Amino acid sequence: MKISTKLILFFCGVVTLFVLLAFALLAQTRTVSAGYDALLRQQVRQAESARVIQVGFKKQVQEWKDILLRGSAPADLDKYTRQFHEQESQVRSGAAALAADVQDAACRDLLNQFLAAHKILSDKYQAAYEAYVGGNFDFKGADKLVRGQDRPPTDLFDQVVQRLNDDVSASVSAQERAVTRARNLALAVSGGLLFGLGLVGFMTVSNILKRLGRLKAVSDRLAAADIEGLAVDISGPDEIGQFGDSMKGVHAAIEELSKLAAAAAA
Amino acid sequence: MAAKLTDFYKQAAQEFGLAGRIKLAMLTKISSEKAESAEDSPENIRVFEQALKQLRAAGG
Repeated sequence: MKISTKLILFFCGVVTLFVLLAFALLAQTRTVSAGYDALLRQQVRQAESARVIQVGFKKQVQEWKDILLRGSAPADLDKYTRQFHEQESQVRSGAAALAADVQDAACRDLLNQFLAAHKILSDKYQAAYEAYVGGNFDFKGADKLVRGQDRPPTDLFDQVVQRLNDDVSASVSAQERAVTRARNLALAVSGGLLFGLGLVGFMTVSNILKRLGRLKAVSDRLAAADIEGLAVDISGPDEIGQFGDSMKGVHAAIEELSKLAAAAAA
Repeated sequence: MAAKLTDFYKQAAQEFGLAGRIKLAMLTKISSEKAESAEDSPENIRVFEQALKQLRAAGG
């Protein structure tokens, strides 16, 4: 194979390798991006919804306390009662939507338990509210009816939030592991290919330089007319081989010339 | 002893003189001294015939 062909092939090999590496990196980036997009679309959004519901439930309890504290004023009673029911409704619809959305069966079960506990709590709040309004705004009596009753649903929802956060953390870790695996594979494959290509390039250049060195040695001896015992053993299908072949002709011509000169001198 | 190859050198000398011998050596890459000890192989004969033909075409 000619040196020019070898060089062109080597150049094409390097270009092809880098194009393939660029495509591989692009595909890897897309995979990572898609993985994180899926994570954001599902687990992170669900964890965020859970935190909103958790805060909503705390606000609902706060509204109940506001009813007890300030409900003796009719305007405040209306205001806090309305806000209490708004929060109650939002918490319930949010929890129901989240229960329908989550994939984790244990988390869904916890949400269903929370919904059931929240319904029971709502009934208790209603009974306490009626006792409060009907009992001349006796907040102590009303408070006794529901005191500590918000703890079980709060604990249940804390578990939901914890599970969803754990799920996000586990997904992020899995994503990171996948990215590390893909990166190591890309490094190994590209490193291997670069090493192989470098080795081929080094061997090609080394072979060319070695044969060029031999050619130069022959050329130097021919230039010095030092043809005694000279053997031009440079062959091959490339340009150096062709040059070596021409050198053989020059060598033979010089030998012939020397023989004729010697014969003429004798 | 390669009698046929040596004959090619004689022919080149007869037709084109000393320059013909040198050019034949250059084209065949085998000097007359080496031709004496080389084999009269079909390949060598073909190379010498081709070289002589080339010399004749170029006029020496």
